Amino acid sequence: MDFFFKDIEHGEPIKWDFLINDINNSLTYNRYCKSGNYYHVLKHIITSLIIGEEIILLDSDFTDSELVNLTGYSEYEEFTQIIDKGSFPLVCDKVELIDKLRNTCNEWKVTLFTSGTTGIPKKVTHNFKSITRFVKISERNKNSIWGFAYNPTHMAGIQVFFQGLLNGNPIVRLFGLTPKEIHREIKENGITHISATPTFYKLLLPCEETFQSITRITSGGEKFNEKTIVQLKGIFPNAKITNVYASTEAGTLFASDNDIFSIKPEYEHLIRIANDELLIHKSLMGSSDMNIEEWYNTGDLIETITEKPLKFRFISRKSDMINVGGYKVNPLEVEETILTLQGIKNVRVYSKSNSVLGNIICCEVVCDNKQISESSIRTFLQSKIQEFKIPRIIRFVEELSTTRTGKIKRN
Amino acid sequence: MNNKMDSKMEEKILEIINTVLDNRTKEKLTALSSEMHLRNDIGFDSLDLAELTVRIEAEYDIDIFEDGIVNTVSEIFQKLNGK
Repeated sequence: MDFFFKDIEHGEPIKWDFLINDINNSLTYNRYCKSGNYYHVLKHIITSLIIGEEIILLDSDFTDSELVNLTGYSEYEEFTQIIDKGSFPLVCDKVELIDKLRNTCNEWKVTLFTSGTTGIPKKVTHNFKSITRFVKISERNKNSIWGFAYNPTHMAGIQVFFQGLLNGNPIVRLFGLTPKEIHREIKENGITHISATPTFYKLLLPCEETFQSITRITSGGEKFNEKTIVQLKGIFPNAKITNVYASTEAGTLFASDNDIFSIKPEYEHLIRIANDELLIHKSLMGSSDMNIEEWYNTGDLIETITEKPLKFRFISRKSDMINVGGYKVNPLEVEETILTLQGIKNVRVYSKSNSVLGNIICCEVVCDNKQISESSIRTFLQSKIQEFKIPRIIRFVEELSTTRTGKIKRN
Repeated sequence: MNNKMDSKMEEKILEIINTVLDNRTKEKLTALSSEMHLRNDIGFDSLDLAELTVRIEAEYDIDIFEDGIVNTVSEIFQKLNGK
């Protein structure tokens, strides 16, 4: 089985030859990439690598107002440029394509957006070296078949894509499919590797089938509980289960077989712990709009298990960010958006723990307009922010509940 | 358990499911059947399932997803009836 990408929404797998022809025949390039079609996004990334131009990845469900906030525009037609075919000779086959991609120039960069801590999502840019730091290219990985369980415009999705692509592995879309479809795709394509959030795996359970082809399960983005791990071992009997710690700012940093992480000796001098918070040296980071000093505060609180060698366990987040099934939601961003709706006097966005997603977004609103209803708030928000940021439970109150120090309660 | 209670509970669950569907501007159901699959047939995604569990918990004080994922309508009733 050798193909580039399979997405059941588009039927038959897309062969390498089709991809190469498609790229060879592309006459124009636009550095802004926003599409709900996974193949288009992946091809767009490959084209950017070949011509050595920046690519800016936008979630397909960003609303126009989010786009204007993030990029200053909501339409990107004017950024279309002609590809100078003279400078980029045609690619003839898969081997040549992968060889070219592995030798991507230093000028190439990818920009993506992460939920910021101040209310506005922030922009993070990585070059080829920083985004592929943890890609393993080897004989052993040559025959892997990847289940693609992330959004391709997010950090984790790009990293899985590069791991598969640079090893020439077939990639099969699993993200957004129903459990039944996911089971079928794993079996039919003999998928060997999946990297996904714990929520993705939880939604596959309970499952009576077993999948022998899977040899590696990787999970990150939120805490995995023991029970889920036991259940996953049952349905993927041949799989090694690994946890990773990664962030949009730094990419994948550590991996572990359980919840205790250890640092490779070569990275030890780039990691520090201060007041139980994990700090990362700026040389491990992508560049962003923020002014990063020598050390970056990750906002992740850890418990040190041994100091030499350094081993630790993640305890919680220092910031107010709410983790909804692996997606980080900034309650301030949601509050600011709700407050722009006329008639809303005050709002408090908070999280409630949830057995499906880890956390669910809720809010309390104070309003002076009888016309405002739960559904009118939702309809308003649907045009302003992404679906996973919209409160699922909205309560109308006379006044907001506050903590004893007068701060707004978050949970 | 008598049939009367059964139909009352069924009505309530249908109402909750329809609230969740309506919140996402998805088409409402006219009736429930026990073999309906929450994701494959009703079209719930993980955000919808999370909301469903909160709304059911608010009504019956039972977290239907506490011990793993519930797949069908009949499994919801089993959880609520403590089976």
